[in-house]
Amino acid sequence: MIRIERRLTDAGWLLVAVPVGSLVGAVILSSVILLATGHDPLGTWQRLLDRGFLSEGAMSATLVQATPLLLTGLAATAAFRMQTWNIGAEGQLYLGAVGASGVGIALGSQPAIVVIPAMVLAGLLFGAAWAAIPGALRAVFRTNEIITSLMLNYVAGLLITYLIFDSHSYWRELSTFTSRVFPQGKYLSPAAAWPSLQIAGIAIPFGFLLGMVAAASLWLLYRSTRFGFEARVIGDSRAAAHYAGIRTRRMIVAVMALSGAFAGLGGAAEIGDFRHVLDPRGLQQASFGYGGIVVAALARLNPFAVILVALLLGGLSNGGFSLQGADFPAGLVGTLQGLILFCALAGELLVRYRIRVQRPRSSSVRPPEVAARPA
Amino acid sequence: MRGITKRFPGVVANEQVDFEAMQGEIHALLGENGAGKSTLSNILTGLYRPDEGEILVNGKPVTFHSPRDAIAAGIGMVHQHFRLAASFTVAENLVLGHRDAADRGFLLEPGMIEGRVTELARRYRMPVDPGARVWQLSVGEQQRVEILKALYRGARILILDEPTSLLTPQESENLFETLRLMGAEGRTVIFISHKLEEVMAVSSRVTVLRRGRVVGSVLTAGTNPRDLARMMVGRDVVFTQKKEGPAQAEREVILQLRGASALGDLGTVALRDVDLSVHAGEIVGVAGVAGNGQRELAEVITGMRRLTAGTVVVGGKPMRVGDPLAAIRRGVSHVPEDRMGTGVAPSLSIADNLVLKAYRRAPISTQGFLHAGRIRTNAIDLIRRFNITAPGPQTPTRLLSGGNVQKVLLARELSSRPRILVAASPTRGLDVAATDSVRALLLEAAAGGVGILLISEDLDEILALADRIAVIYRGHIMGVVERQNASVEDLGLMMAGAA
Amino acid sequence: MNNTLVVVIAASAVFYGTPLLFASLGELLAERSGVLNLGVEGMMLVGAVSGFWAVQTVGGPGWLSLLTAVAVAALAAAATSLIHAFLTVTLRASQIVSGLALTIFAGASGLSSYIGHVANLGGKPAHHEFDAIDLFGLKDAPVIGPILFHQNALTYASWVLVGLALLYLYRTRPGLHLRAVGESPATADAMGVNVTAYRYIHTMVGGALAGVGGAFFSLAITPFWLDGMTSGAGWIAIALVIFAFWRPELALVGAYLFGAFSSLAFTLQTRQVHLPPEVFSSLPYLMTIVVLVLVSTGWGRRRLGAPAALGVPYIREER
Repeated sequence: MIRIERRLTDAGWLLVAVPVGSLVGAVILSSVILLATGHDPLGTWQRLLDRGFLSEGAMSATLVQATPLLLTGLAATAAFRMQTWNIGAEGQLYLGAVGASGVGIALGSQPAIVVIPAMVLAGLLFGAAWAAIPGALRAVFRTNEIITSLMLNYVAGLLITYLIFDSHSYWRELSTFTSRVFPQGKYLSPAAAWPSLQIAGIAIPFGFLLGMVAAASLWLLYRSTRFGFEARVIGDSRAAAHYAGIRTRRMIVAVMALSGAFAGLGGAAEIGDFRHVLDPRGLQQASFGYGGIVVAALARLNPFAVILVALLLGGLSNGGFSLQGADFPAGLVGTLQGLILFCALAGELLVRYRIRVQRPRSSSVRPPEVAARPA
Repeated sequence: MRGITKRFPGVVANEQVDFEAMQGEIHALLGENGAGKSTLSNILTGLYRPDEGEILVNGKPVTFHSPRDAIAAGIGMVHQHFRLAASFTVAENLVLGHRDAADRGFLLEPGMIEGRVTELARRYRMPVDPGARVWQLSVGEQQRVEILKALYRGARILILDEPTSLLTPQESENLFETLRLMGAEGRTVIFISHKLEEVMAVSSRVTVLRRGRVVGSVLTAGTNPRDLARMMVGRDVVFTQKKEGPAQAEREVILQLRGASALGDLGTVALRDVDLSVHAGEIVGVAGVAGNGQRELAEVITGMRRLTAGTVVVGGKPMRVGDPLAAIRRGVSHVPEDRMGTGVAPSLSIADNLVLKAYRRAPISTQGFLHAGRIRTNAIDLIRRFNITAPGPQTPTRLLSGGNVQKVLLARELSSRPRILVAASPTRGLDVAATDSVRALLLEAAAGGVGILLISEDLDEILALADRIAVIYRGHIMGVVERQNASVEDLGLMMAGAA
Repeated sequence: MNNTLVVVIAASAVFYGTPLLFASLGELLAERSGVLNLGVEGMMLVGAVSGFWAVQTVGGPGWLSLLTAVAVAALAAAATSLIHAFLTVTLRASQIVSGLALTIFAGASGLSSYIGHVANLGGKPAHHEFDAIDLFGLKDAPVIGPILFHQNALTYASWVLVGLALLYLYRTRPGLHLRAVGESPATADAMGVNVTAYRYIHTMVGGALAGVGGAFFSLAITPFWLDGMTSGAGWIAIALVIFAFWRPELALVGAYLFGAFSSLAFTLQTRQVHLPPEVFSSLPYLMTIVVLVLVSTGWGRRRLGAPAALGVPYIREER
């Protein structure tokens, strides 16, 4: 008989073992899927590892992929910690990209020292504003933020498609004949390209550095500020927060906006570090917003762990992208991400509960002189 | 039941418990909170499985894998917290999970079921409308549904867990009549309680549990409350009592409700035109049957619920209503009914919970930043002063026992130097030692000049602590009496709505 | 007369609403047992891809092939939902996170896309598709003809299903037990109802119906396979359950309302209404938000009909 008992103390080693075990478990499970569909798991993983981390320039490419994942991971962390379910990081990232590219185009003639901070700011603001919509609906009408934030992802996707494909918007390149037939966005001036830090032959994008600062700030915010204290109380018990006089509604809007700002910064980084153009198809294919949920969950909502996990999953999607085709079937990245989450959830059980296997011992001792009493 | 042992993480709830009940008797299971009574009854009804020991029904050993088996063996249970689906009708609650020859079809036949329910209710003199939704019923009616549910299943053995805790004295008397009727029919009644008087009144035999073990089993006729109390607690019990204090009249009125009305969670009127006042240093008890507006009353005063009419006046000035922060700033402390979940944030540490309200002020925080060191010192200080038993200030509060959670709450609420303390059912579910220390803290606070509104369904507690007693019925204050002039009978009548 | 804008939109509202109806009925049953499954989108896509695969693979007459495809879609999606049931009911994991994980795992860039890729399903038309049936020969009856009597077999089946769901919930013993499990699992448990079994079964029924809804996309609406082809219908189905106050008959109303929003885009464009297509396409999503806001204010605020134990794991032996 298996019994599940609540743990009375936290087992520290499990906090590391569970995420690592989740990765291993997910790799094993997806190997089964690969085998079942006639692929060679070992070879697939080897190629993925190689393209994602080991080969020439792989780390630099991985960092580019990891940057938006780091920021959407922080977006999910900021909101989920307060049990506010912002799953609209995807759309908030698009809006951040819209804002950053718009500012980048507008300030094209200015020096980098002006353009880049303006792009960062635009990304933060656009993402925050988009996330504040479901936040405000939640605060004022108690409308379920899961569904509203998610619905806005689709709307944001349609919005960026509209800006490039179905309108003569400010973002669209219209100066050449080809671009009028085959729609594409305006490319940003070189001044708007974000710098990178070269360390041991690896280029660390500016956006990634910003993400690390953001992670540290988020950690500090939750740990030692009044704002963070209130968020922690709300996350643990809304009733207790109300009781303690915490302005829950304001906090919901604020945390949603904060979360959206991180995601929007992710979109700005994607423009500044990598694409230099508003590219609806590319942004939508990457699905960084949903990846951020996986990152946050695997990092158990620890901002510093988010950095590491984002690198890991960034390598995964970098490898996945560069291998696409027969070598690496489409959909495997999402499948693997989902499996990682499943394993992490199952592992969470180990953190909270102790599982004991025991034999029932009830009827082994029975005295023979049972006095038959009518009950 | 023989040699029953049940362990939970960190505690042994029952250890080598032997218990027997005979046909047709009303057998009381006596013990203080946490003695293992509920665990034992949950084992008997198949909800828990014992780690050791065996159960015999009519002399035959039985093994219950689930509640279904216990029901089939003729065991019915009336839980302390009713197991009723609130949005269902009475009839639906009765047929839930039930199967017998006359009533086992795949399709439900509401007419037939309601007919059977009405007939059963008539036979046991427990009138109830089978078509009514449970949430519309009073607590006493809900209990009738629980008992009918067990009888509908043909229970030969009926277990009642603290059945009188939610009833008026008169309603309790009616319940005892029904139980005697069932005993006379040859059914066995197991009556779980920690109240000595009612055990003496209703039972024919008493088994006493203490710390999960059986202390003894005696005939009621051959014992007295004093001996039972000693068996139950292991020593003589003298509860802290209010001493006769000086007259309150000249003291300042510190809290006043004028014509206060408010809605409940379901949008129905929960408080009607309440007038009530509390003086500094006075304890005013609010007596009443559960669900008559007590929770809403506490929430209105502490800003957690909006008023639809009237005002709350604190220290002579009207308070902004519907704003808990305003109440906190005006010195209104609150020990809520729901300790875990409302009174504390369960997963946060003891230290964090001790600053749940003070975190926004210096010295705990300045310029928006918290001072971890000061939070810790504050916690160590309060843990010592209020005798909180805990591994350390960083322990998550949910891991504490009920008594210690309540001490954390009181430590926080009293250390903020309040003018008013609203305490709702402050000792519910606590063991004797914790109950006594909570009562002592309340009396000490009152002696220090705090005006206390003590809301409790336990009339004995109110009689022990309060200076004046207000009785609430359907959201209205039926009357306020001085403790010296109060009799249980009069209060009981007021609690039942007879002015 | 049957060509007027209103009739055309109503008829196609029923058509586009059918997958929403299947999926929201399924989610409704799961939520009635207390299990919130946010993985509907993923399960629909698994249903869509596996149903499409079956139609391409299984030979025989068209009706048999389609019937098999629906069964395969239901089974595949039910199997997917089993993961959610195991994680949330047995392992007591967070229903929200598990449901999101299910959508990521099975969704547009997950398993459904993987299956489509390895089975090489993309870009080919379905061998068979669900055609409209002229029921009782009434398809040309004025107004109601195109709306009620010229739909496909799955739409007719969905009507039967609504009736069955109503009967089941309110007039049968297992239905009573189901409602009790979602309302007060402790009560149901004490009365000998197997809470775990009810939650597993209804989560999987929910998955199966989501799968059928998904197959409607790949076998009726756009009879080919495309990654992420349900484009948010699963999420709209979840919103519909809230809109419907957890009642099957209102889910039917809601599904057709949202079917109308989906069809509006196509219908108005063919009628030369010039607005960017994105405006029409975003209509269902924006309307979902609007409807949720309306439902969550006023009388809806009291969460009428929401199962009291929705989203809460049931743990018997805990103190």
